[in-house]
Amino acid sequence: MLIEIGHFSLVLALIFSVLLMILPSIGLYQNKSALAQLTKPLVWAQGFWIAVSFIILMNAFLANDFSVKYVADNSNTQLPILFKASAVWGAHEGSLLLWVFVLSVWTIAVSIFSKRIPSNLLNLILIVLGAISFGFLLFLLFTSNPFERILIPPLEGRELNPLLQDFGLAVHPPMLYMGYVGLAVPFAFVIAALIRGKLDSSWLRWTRPWALISWAFLTVGITLGSWWAYYELGWGGWWFWDPVENASFMPWLVATALVHSLSVSEKRGAFRQWTVLLAIGGFSLSLLGAFLVRSGVLTSVHAFATDPTRGLFILLFLFIVIGGSLILFTWRSHLLQKSNQFALLSRETGLLINNILLITALFTVLLGTLYPLILDTLNLGKISVGAPYFNAVFVPIMIPGVLALAIFPFVRWKKDSVSRLTSLLRLNWIGIALLILLARVVMTDNIYVLIAIGLFIWVAFHVIILVSKRIRTKSKFSFAFLGMIIAHLGIAVFTLGATVTTQLGIEKDIKMDVGESQNIAGYDFVFNGVKPHTKDNYSGFIGDISVYSDAKQIAQLKPEKRYYQSGMPMTEASIDPSLTRDLYVALGESLEGDAWSVRIYYKPLVRWIWLGGLMIALGAFFAAIDRRYFVRAKS
Amino acid sequence: MILSWQFILMIVISSLFLAWFLYRPVKSNLSDDDSNIAINKQRQAELEIDFNQGHIESAQYQEAESEIISTLASELKSSPAKNITIEPLKWITLIVLSIGILSLLVYSQLAPKIIPNSDAALTEPLSMSESIQKLQDYLIENPNDFQALKMLGLAQVGTGNIDSSIESFERAFEVNPNDIDLLLQFASAIAANQNGMFYGKSQTLIEKALSLDPQSIQVLYFAGIVSAHQSDLDGAIGYWQKALYLMPDSHPDRNIIEEALSTVLNLQVK
Repeated sequence: MLIEIGHFSLVLALIFSVLLMILPSIGLYQNKSALAQLTKPLVWAQGFWIAVSFIILMNAFLANDFSVKYVADNSNTQLPILFKASAVWGAHEGSLLLWVFVLSVWTIAVSIFSKRIPSNLLNLILIVLGAISFGFLLFLLFTSNPFERILIPPLEGRELNPLLQDFGLAVHPPMLYMGYVGLAVPFAFVIAALIRGKLDSSWLRWTRPWALISWAFLTVGITLGSWWAYYELGWGGWWFWDPVENASFMPWLVATALVHSLSVSEKRGAFRQWTVLLAIGGFSLSLLGAFLVRSGVLTSVHAFATDPTRGLFILLFLFIVIGGSLILFTWRSHLLQKSNQFALLSRETGLLINNILLITALFTVLLGTLYPLILDTLNLGKISVGAPYFNAVFVPIMIPGVLALAIFPFVRWKKDSVSRLTSLLRLNWIGIALLILLARVVMTDNIYVLIAIGLFIWVAFHVIILVSKRIRTKSKFSFAFLGMIIAHLGIAVFTLGATVTTQLGIEKDIKMDVGESQNIAGYDFVFNGVKPHTKDNYSGFIGDISVYSDAKQIAQLKPEKRYYQSGMPMTEASIDPSLTRDLYVALGESLEGDAWSVRIYYKPLVRWIWLGGLMIALGAFFAAIDRRYFVRAKS
Repeated sequence: MILSWQFILMIVISSLFLAWFLYRPVKSNLSDDDSNIAINKQRQAELEIDFNQGHIESAQYQEAESEIISTLASELKSSPAKNITIEPLKWITLIVLSIGILSLLVYSQLAPKIIPNSDAALTEPLSMSESIQKLQDYLIENPNDFQALKMLGLAQVGTGNIDSSIESFERAFEVNPNDIDLLLQFASAIAANQNGMFYGKSQTLIEKALSLDPQSIQVLYFAGIVSAHQSDLDGAIGYWQKALYLMPDSHPDRNIIEEALSTVLNLQVK
């Protein structure tokens, strides 16, 4: 009966989302404040029933209730308890329930932490979020019910996809969904403001912290996904330009543009139309990502759920959201005409350049992702667009972006002069040039690495100057300022890590006999053999490789080859990590005698990639808690 | 089944919760003007700090200040509308009825017609004959439940009652003639009554499955058997080689097909 209660809880949540759309709207339209102020209780009640159904589904996994089809398809009694819990979002139905749950968490957060937002605006924001919940609850209940029963329950469930039996995958989807779904909040702010026809200071001020937090979560989610792919897939790569990776990267690019555009709109009242379009675009791309993954139009490591009916539903939802928003935008665009003026050299221009570059990068990624699908749909052949295309078009667009992010924090709002700027920074530029030259002499002659080192020094040096200038003038270090410098430094750290590991990394796929040694990047890898190994719900082989540097043992690596119940082989890499380099070993196949094929990677600065990602997210969190977002208004 | 006391309790809790807030609304009456004044005051304070610390010059300060003032002036035009009071009881009745009727109506469309005893599933499994009896009882109420008919057929095959299983599969086939799994099980049951030979109806069923999904490994395996039974060894080899090509190396059924293929290849050599 518990399962039916979980199912009925979802139905109640659906009914509450309907009431949330109707009752407060009547209250706002007819000035009946008692009805308008039902938004918060309705949001809380809806969130409560969604949480109940989520907990009941998790309990079904933990209790091995194989009378639930979703549990029987994705879990079994041998599965470790952590993965039983994370199996809740291991396939389509549960991950959609997680999506709805996360959306309800965001909606409740908005209802609780928005005391400073005018009440009419807040009520309308919650109504819009209720409408989005309604769409997803309909989708969940009518096409993807996670509580579907099996008439005669099996004695044992099936296997959770072995790729998902990992800690990284237990935390990556919730974080990513926090970001994806979080973009619904700025979207709801924009739609509410457009419906009211009041695109004023309040709307701009209060949209930004929510946009920043969702952007931070999206960054953490993407970073965790990249980290997981690195150690779990056994290829040593950290980004594959996989269509589903792109599906999460595209909203990130728009969200990055949005948080910067919002800062101009908030501070200077410019770019309002653009900001509105970005907020609509960010959430629309989240939905497009959901469509690409759920509909089955893409086939990738992520395409665990493919169903044309589901795809059609999301496509319809996507059309309603994008079409409705754009119609609303066109209807209200005359309210957004007013924009304060700014000169060619001003901070506004810098942020405009940032936006242009990010949106250009977005379109290159979108083109590379959708082009093979369009060709396939038109029966014009099957092609695959991979890393060579993306690296060739994406990287050159981002280089000027990194250069600009160091300079424009020094440029004044509204108007500045080249002479003031050059007199302020020219000596520092000479220092930066000398450091790059020094790097060329003592470190490397690889041009890509030199560019990355140059960009890193460029950004780091400017950040130091910015901080020292603040100290000199005894200015306050606001959280917004700290957030900006941490995030910008994060970009520099990421750029250096990504370039160095790609350009200077060493990969060897070799046959190794017991006792054999291989020297890679100054490290000796000695193969000690492979033993059979059994644990929990898999069996396989575990290798033993000693790593020496200058005849001194520095690591003992134990890569694994696992075979789960389904027979699917899994490679578990063994890594000796450090901030300067990773030594990465993965077992290949058993060859004649005791020999095995072994993949050995030397990955310099690879950790900087994820460190940079986390710094960007941390910067966003800092910026979101700035003092000005806690201003008290008295009624 | 749809109307259980737990559901009624859930509806009552939901209704009481909302009723409470209709009588005691959440207090929040911050107006747009209050908020805009506070924000623009703060912007002005930030501007003054920038000016005092030399981040901007006097002319820019004047210009920015006048922008803040004009922005605020354009935003301050709302006049609060008069609040209309409501009759809470009328609305509560409406809400309670909406929640009760709508939730039960939606759930009745989505709920399973029979709920398996999950507690039993967690402790002791049903015996095969008990499962068959339970399915037969269920099918009296729901004679066109495809899954139940298919499951009954499978259970009857399990107990060796092939004739009954063919009848069950036949009924399931009438409900859904395009289910690959059913076509294969049905064909196998008929073949079991024909000394394991696939001809006649069992052959037609496999051919239908092949036309529906020519990439299915199971279908290709059975299509190979049909060809082999018709002495079309090249056909059988073709189907099995395709199945092996489509199969991952670690597939547990790979050995079965490899064995069948090598047998046929040996026959061909002889």
